[in-house]
Amino acid sequence: MASSQVVKVLIVDDDVVTRRIYRTMLLRFGFEITEAGDGKSAVNQFLTGNEYDLILMDNDMPGMNGVEATRTLRGMGILAKIIAITADDANSRGAFLDAGADEFLLKPVNFTMLTVILKAFNFLN
Amino acid sequence: MASAPLKAQLTDLLNSMFAMDFLDEQFKELQMLEEASGPGFLAEVVTLFCGDAERIIFQLSVLINEPVVDFGKVDANVHQLKGSSSSVGAKRVALVCVKFRNVCLENDKEGCIVALHEIRHEFDELHKKFQTMLQLEQQIRVLDSK
Repeated sequence: MASSQVVKVLIVDDDVVTRRIYRTMLLRFGFEITEAGDGKSAVNQFLTGNEYDLILMDNDMPGMNGVEATRTLRGMGILAKIIAITADDANSRGAFLDAGADEFLLKPVNFTMLTVILKAFNFLN
Repeated sequence: MASAPLKAQLTDLLNSMFAMDFLDEQFKELQMLEEASGPGFLAEVVTLFCGDAERIIFQLSVLINEPVVDFGKVDANVHQLKGSSSSVGAKRVALVCVKFRNVCLENDKEGCIVALHEIRHEFDELHKKFQTMLQLEQQIRVLDSK
């Protein structure tokens, strides 16, 4: 986990509405939230020395998509848990998992589904 | 309580929106999130969605009226609208987006024109109902705070 006790989350999605919804879901747990609008911005977060425990990663984004961003982050040695959350059909599931994602969810995500995964990752007491 | 009639009106409005498939279960998810996180969340998300949808629909009308349509860009915009409408539970808008993407895949300009008209119609109907919803919520908050 990142050095702070607080779980640090990076939300990566080009849709501001979706990011707002995830932010509200995760703030309920007292997580610290940062947002990025595309894969390249997400990678830059780590290149500039930021650390995160968890990444919520969309796929279809301008420039670098979520699968590419996931592959790049794993290639950089980033160990944060990555949950791929996408409206793409389940065909992107294989690509995401091959790239190094830890879990895959189809949009729209509901709070219960997200909570189950966060518990499985031991982010919740 | 003075706000009781307005609350009843709001309940009827939301029930009809669910019954007519303007909204689906994802909107109930957002209502639960608002209960937990406090007032203002739903209004913010709905306002964000409506602004975003307006922007995308305008962009689509520009793209489709080009002499040579870039169906890739059209599809990307429709995909984005489908994503945000699914996230807020805007079921009818999301369904029309699926149809739109299908005609994009076929590079069907006439089909895109029809689909854009449908999206415009569905969004306008939903937008009016969202505006009524937000106005009722605001009036209820004012009355309840007195």
